[in-house]
Parts: sequence; structure tokens; C-alpha cells
Amino acid sequence: MEPLKPETKQALLNNNPKATLADIEEYERLLAEQFNEDPDLPKSPERSIAIRERQERITELHAKLFRPKGVRTVSKR
Amino acid sequence: MPNTAPALNVLQEGDAGKPQPFTITIISNPSLERPLGSGNFVADSITTDQQAFDACAQYIKNALLGRLPGQRELFLADPAIGPCIRIVSLFVTGLNLEDANSLVGEQADLLVARRNVFNGFLIRYRLQADVAYAVSQSEINTRASAWYTSDDDTRPGVAYSLDGTTLYHRYYNLIPGMVAIHSSSSSLTALHEFGHALSSYTNGKIVDLYVDDGTGVNNKTGRPIPAQFAVYNNSTYASDSIRDGLGYPAGWQSYHCELIDPALPAIMDDYWQAPDGVPEHCQHDRITRQFLIDRVLAKISR
Repeated sequence: MEPLKPETKQALLNNNPKATLADIEEYERLLAEQFNEDPDLPKSPERSIAIRERQERITELHAKLFRPKGVRTVSKR
Repeated sequence: MPNTAPALNVLQEGDAGKPQPFTITIISNPSLERPLGSGNFVADSITTDQQAFDACAQYIKNALLGRLPGQRELFLADPAIGPCIRIVSLFVTGLNLEDANSLVGEQADLLVARRNVFNGFLIRYRLQADVAYAVSQSEINTRASAWYTSDDDTRPGVAYSLDGTTLYHRYYNLIPGMVAIHSSSSSLTALHEFGHALSSYTNGKIVDLYVDDGTGVNNKTGRPIPAQFAVYNNSTYASDSIRDGLGYPAGWQSYHCELIDPALPAIMDDYWQAPDGVPEHCQHDRITRQFLIDRVLAKISR
């Protein structure tokens, strides 16, 4: 997963006073975590619940970090 | 929308003497799932911008083969490796906006490869891949991501040892490593994602180093940080005790392997934070580089 650019992190913090670095770190950690588990392996019911909860938390953090003022990640060429 | 003929472009022939040369396949994403898992498919504008797709395919090739301006990570440019890699691109346009034609979905701020669709898509175009890139021109998300390879563990490979455990650099995969990447991507992004995608769910993952998570070949957890990181194929690798250049945040449990250039972050770490402002100067840490070299060489030898 491509790391967030420093300017994007700063923009997230600047555009949303409620966002913290800890939010960004948790968001990044949860996103990265989902790729580390083979999505095609069978999951126990407990694991499936944990995965669903992780997705919900990612959605929640994404909304908190990115949606207040429409901040987007921007790639430079 | 007309279903026009696909444009297959061999960017590099690779080892033409082999029936299944090590192959990197780059495809224009026909349809985006927005958001991932929704079943809502929209057109990906890359399908109407072949110029952008071709430029991105060339960028990927250059990043992999160490040809970006100032690039210092050159392991795939080695004469024993680079010329053996086959690189092909496929530009497709005019396909229906449906599940089978959607190689990329949008999740949060990421582009995510739709793993279960890829193999069928490759077969339809008589393509194979060890690592596949799907190029999107999403107007919402631009951030790349990758899935590791699912190895075919029923087939042979080259055995290696990691901290006393025997694993294999497998010759073949069940599902290739997959990258979803934006047409505007730059710098080391294509090479960073290649590091993930070439590695394996069952035989060693190369994980992100900028998060405190995910034990892999290149990441371990625990404090205090031991002097020795790992023993890989009877060679001992030291730990990076201070995460040179960036520092381990307070409370982290992760630690990494020694760097080749201690002045710069590893490529699997946050290369955007290269202190000299030039991410292309970053290189892999020692164990990551050797692991990826060995894995490519194994696949090239099949």
C-alpha cells in the first residue's frame, strides 16, 4: 500500500481539527492489515466478525479524516 | 460504447526461449467497482485515455528496471535478471461495466485489485502473470495497493531457510500478485507495490514498514530490539535498531532489518519521507532485497 504523502497527512490534519495523528496511524494500520491476510482462506465465524468490525472502523476513520472538507490524496507526476 | 480490439504491447520480450517466462502484465482497468464490494460498476476513464495508460505502463517498467531519474534501487536491472523478465501491457476498451470486467475497486482512499476476477480476465486474453498491475484513472482515489501472491504449493520451487524454517520460492502461482495503481502514480510506488505483490502468503510476505503491524520477512515485533534480525539462507542479517532517518514511534513493537543506505528510508517504508527530498534514492533493506532477488531468480529458472 502506497504510504500517504506527508503533505496529504498535513492536509488531513489542517482540514479537520478533530483528526489526530493517532487517527491517521490507526487508519493506515487497519488498511495495511487487511492485505496481510489471505482473502481466499476460509475464516472462522469469530474471524469474520473481526474483519467486518475492521472494515467498519476503516469506514469510520475514512469519513472522519477525508470527508469534512473533501480532502483527497493527490499524486504528483 | 464500441467493443474495440484490445491492444497488446510487448514492452520487453523477456526469456523468449521459455514457455512460461517470468511475466509482469499491465492492464487498463475496464470498470471500477465503486465502492469495493458494492456491486456498483462504473466506467474507468483510463479506457478512453490510451496515452495515459501507455505512459503509466512505461513508468512501471522504468521503476522496476531502475530507470527513474536518480533511482538507486537497481536489483531488477541486474543483467542476470532484467533481460529475463517479460513485460506486456494490454489496453482494453468498450467492455461491459460488470463484475467480470472490473479489476479495481475503490475502498476508503485506496485503489484495490479485485483478486478473484483477475485470473479469469487474464485467461480471456490468453495472458499469464507472475505479477499483474491494473491501471486506473479513478477521479476519486489515486493511492495504490497490492495483494501478495498465492503460491502453488503443490508444485516445485527453490527451498530456502528463514530462522530455521524451510520455505520455498515457488515457481508458479495459483493467483498472481496484484497491484492496483493510478495512472498518475510516480516515483517508487510501482516498485514498492511490486515488493508486496512478488512475495507470498505462504512463503514469506514483504510487508509495509510504515505501520506497526504485520509480521513478515522484513518486519518483526518485540522490544528490546535484538541485534540480529534474521538468519536467511545461512546469512545473518542485523536489525535496524533506530529505523534510520525516521525513528520508531514511541509504543511501536515492530522492528526492521538493517538498511543498505542508513541515510534513507527503506522502499517498503515511507519513501516519501526521504530526508534529501528524493524518494528515488531509497533502496530496499538488506533482507528484502535478497529475498526478492532470490524469488525472481527462482521463477526465472523454471
